[in-house]
Amino acid sequence: MSKQRTSQKVFAGLILLAFLMGAAFAQKAPKDKFVFGPLNPIKMPKVEKAELPNGLKLLLVEDPEFPTINLFALVRTGAVFEPSAKIGLANLTGMALRTGGTKTRTGDQIDKELDTLAASVSTGIGQTSGTINVSVLKEDFDKALAILADLLTDPAFPQDKIDLAKIQMRTMISRRNDNVNAIASREFNRLIYGKDSPYARQAEYATIEAITRQDLADFFNAYYFPNNTSVAVWGDFKAKDMVAKLTAALGKWKKGKAAALPWPKVVEADKYTVNFIDKPDVNQSNIIIGHLGGLMSSPDLPALSIMNQILSFERMFKRIRTDEGLAYSVWGSYDAGYIYPGTFSCGAQTKSQSTVFAIEIMLKEIRRIMDQEVSDEELAKAKDGYLNSYVFNFESKAQILNRMLTYAYFGYPLDFTEKQKAAVEKVTKADVLRVAKKYLKPDKVQILAVGKKADFDKPLSTLGNVNVIDIAIPPAKK
Amino acid sequence: MKPRKHGLAGLVCVLAALVLSFSTASAQTFDAVRKQVRIHTLPNGMKFIVLERHDAPVAAFHIYADVGSANESYGITGISHILEHMAFKGTKTVGTKDFTAESKVLADLDAAYAQMREEETKIAPDQARLAALQAKFKDLEAKAKDYVVNNEYFDMMLREGDAGVNAYTSNDATQYINYLPSNRLEFWMAVTSDRFLNPVFREFYKERDVIQEERRLGVETQPTGKLMEDFLAAAFKAHPYHHEVIGHMSDLQSITRQDVEDYFKKFYGPSNLTVGIVGDVKTDEVFKLADVYFSRIPSGPRPEPVRTKEPDQWGERKVAVSAKSQPYLLLGYHVPDARNKDSRALEAMANILGQGRSSRLYTALVKEKKVAAMAQAFSGFPSDKFPNLFGVMAVTAAGKTAAECQAAIEEEIEKIKKDAVTDEELTKFKRTTIKSALGQLRSNTNMAALLTYADVVLGDYGKAFDQIDEIKALTAEDIKRVANRYLTKNNRTIGEIVPEK
Repeated sequence: MSKQRTSQKVFAGLILLAFLMGAAFAQKAPKDKFVFGPLNPIKMPKVEKAELPNGLKLLLVEDPEFPTINLFALVRTGAVFEPSAKIGLANLTGMALRTGGTKTRTGDQIDKELDTLAASVSTGIGQTSGTINVSVLKEDFDKALAILADLLTDPAFPQDKIDLAKIQMRTMISRRNDNVNAIASREFNRLIYGKDSPYARQAEYATIEAITRQDLADFFNAYYFPNNTSVAVWGDFKAKDMVAKLTAALGKWKKGKAAALPWPKVVEADKYTVNFIDKPDVNQSNIIIGHLGGLMSSPDLPALSIMNQILSFERMFKRIRTDEGLAYSVWGSYDAGYIYPGTFSCGAQTKSQSTVFAIEIMLKEIRRIMDQEVSDEELAKAKDGYLNSYVFNFESKAQILNRMLTYAYFGYPLDFTEKQKAAVEKVTKADVLRVAKKYLKPDKVQILAVGKKADFDKPLSTLGNVNVIDIAIPPAKK
Repeated sequence: MKPRKHGLAGLVCVLAALVLSFSTASAQTFDAVRKQVRIHTLPNGMKFIVLERHDAPVAAFHIYADVGSANESYGITGISHILEHMAFKGTKTVGTKDFTAESKVLADLDAAYAQMREEETKIAPDQARLAALQAKFKDLEAKAKDYVVNNEYFDMMLREGDAGVNAYTSNDATQYINYLPSNRLEFWMAVTSDRFLNPVFREFYKERDVIQEERRLGVETQPTGKLMEDFLAAAFKAHPYHHEVIGHMSDLQSITRQDVEDYFKKFYGPSNLTVGIVGDVKTDEVFKLADVYFSRIPSGPRPEPVRTKEPDQWGERKVAVSAKSQPYLLLGYHVPDARNKDSRALEAMANILGQGRSSRLYTALVKEKKVAAMAQAFSGFPSDKFPNLFGVMAVTAAGKTAAECQAAIEEEIEKIKKDAVTDEELTKFKRTTIKSALGQLRSNTNMAALLTYADVVLGDYGKAFDQIDEIKALTAEDIKRVANRYLTKNNRTIGEIVPEK
């Protein structure tokens, strides 16, 4: 109630202010040169930190604008830690944790209860983290929290929901070659990290079949405990009350033995290859070329961000899309990962008849940004763009809080974004050239084309020996 | 605590109380926001709708042009979307080194193109003449390119920190968006009004190539893209929802620069444009600046509304797309446009039938019968300014067929027609609607889009809020009625992907 009054008061105040200003600037003529006044200051939310006796870490932000509460949590785990004979285990665990319900309420009962409240509680396990999301109207928060606490402390993992999740995973396997973009990005990833690498391997019918209920319970127990979990909550509450609620609901969650996660090593392919996947039923090729990228912690990241913008937009987009009309979507980007190296990749989808031509242009553009400094204009545009859009990193309290939780999870300073900005301000043309030379390796790229060979402009072999990738799905055992 | 324990009468009371208590809190929120929205119409008919939100020093800009692929006719399918691309090519001062010289070359280029096309389309083209004309065209295209400043509009916007510069075209509308630091308000006014006052459709022929690639990407290489195109073509035999927004390939290869100029003149008059601005701005300042910059656009007649209406269907229609893909099933039933009150009941039915893990289709097809990996229902397909489709789709589970999914879907539809939905389900829908509306309010870009949509398609921006009240008033009987009225065999189209070996 008081909230509405305040906002109306603010509104009335603004009208008055606008009226006074309006009188000052009156009618004026259109301008074509602009000097921008200062922006209103960014509002940093007040982030409260707390830790429960069982080690559960909390970040809280009071945000009373609307009557809702959201919770986001990260659990230190990941699919990269599942055994190679049971690929899919982490995904399955993340799904069945929620769909399987608890020993006192079934997953279906939870579905119904949450849907009726227009609330959601979801869980999942990705490659490098487990995630929990709760979104609920303020007055239903206690109910959603009770469900979440129940799931975390007493999950049931019933066989029927595991079987159902297995059906879904088998369906995904059976459909993985239906979409040509999905084929290209998946197979490119396997080229870069190696097809058996935890960062690129994929579930097969056999690895899904091998997973048992006990595997899920063991995987869950190995990682899901409070001192392995960080929680961010924002919305219409008082921080003190929220800590009390979370203590009451999750205080009983038993502490486990937290250890640093042994992230698997990445082995760089370090070779030039040309790869092809035959899709005689399409009239457009899907092309990706690239090699291993780097880490976000690299001191060169700011210069690489600027180089990326220039390579992707100034060079690839303007050249391949605008000048040549060869592709709708085209990019070139050196990606950095939080804890393992990302990929450097350039890609486009172009009609079969311009496949090799497009690859040649991409390689030429990579070489060009390594051979000579970018222009003053290109540098200024890229830096201005980065710095002027910096404010969008602070658009909402939720965005800021989620970012902080993610940084904390991967061991980055909470003000990483602010630090990057300071460094980007100092980037020079020489820096861009230096990082391009240091990190881009056109002689060690892996090239992948997915498409209809018969219609290519030139044989792919003009680029080197062609390795044909077989994407046939290994059949399930009868 | 499970609501079921209260017994049926008790349950209804508890649920009614839930909706009520929640409605009061949210109603106040919606009212407060609604009161802050203001609208201003320029003398030339262009409308500006503003909502102040001072969370962060940014502002979302949304231009809603009331023209989409439904306004197209044979020969120019895809032109709304082509025009959207061309609107990024600059103006008489942006994107060119010397407009006077450039415009002469552009005229020559168009003439050369016309000659080339004329020869090319003859039954027996003179190959030597054609080659000469093609060479001339290429030469002029290169000459024109010399005057171009590549992507200068994008450059300007990105450089000023635009985090959302983009546009999209649908069957109903073409929408241009920017998301800028809020001290760029007047800059946006200047650059954007120039876009609508002095557009120059340069680099046209190359952009047409880009759009052909976009069609290959979205339709021709995607089994589901192919299904969608054939499905809509069957479901709409007369109304222009018949063709996809991207257009037919042969039209994309033949549309001329003059076609685009004509289309712009017809549909981009100020009375066909509505702007939404949401963020850290002052409403009065926005209106004053709109007067200064956008009043310069001369007024023109409102384009004639789409003439063709979809007639009643004479029987069930079926479409099969053969593709290297697993099966996929799509059903569509003809339903009225968004302004019709039945649309709210249809939204409710879509939600109860096929949105969320406790929905009827998910429960029956995915959890119980295990014939699908996913099953959903949706209303307003492919768009909703005109009568459209209520859709149901199923992704078959490995080893299951589209026929098995269809049988299970029909069973669930019959249940709704016979027994209506439960109060519990209806409450779920109402609360979901209110919660997602609250979610929308948090986003500058979503609100800018919503307010312009409501004003153009529903006739008043305030309808964005009224619709919530209409939904609160829905009864189970309303849903049963629309189910029986629209979900009939003769009113539907069935499409499926048939796996090709």
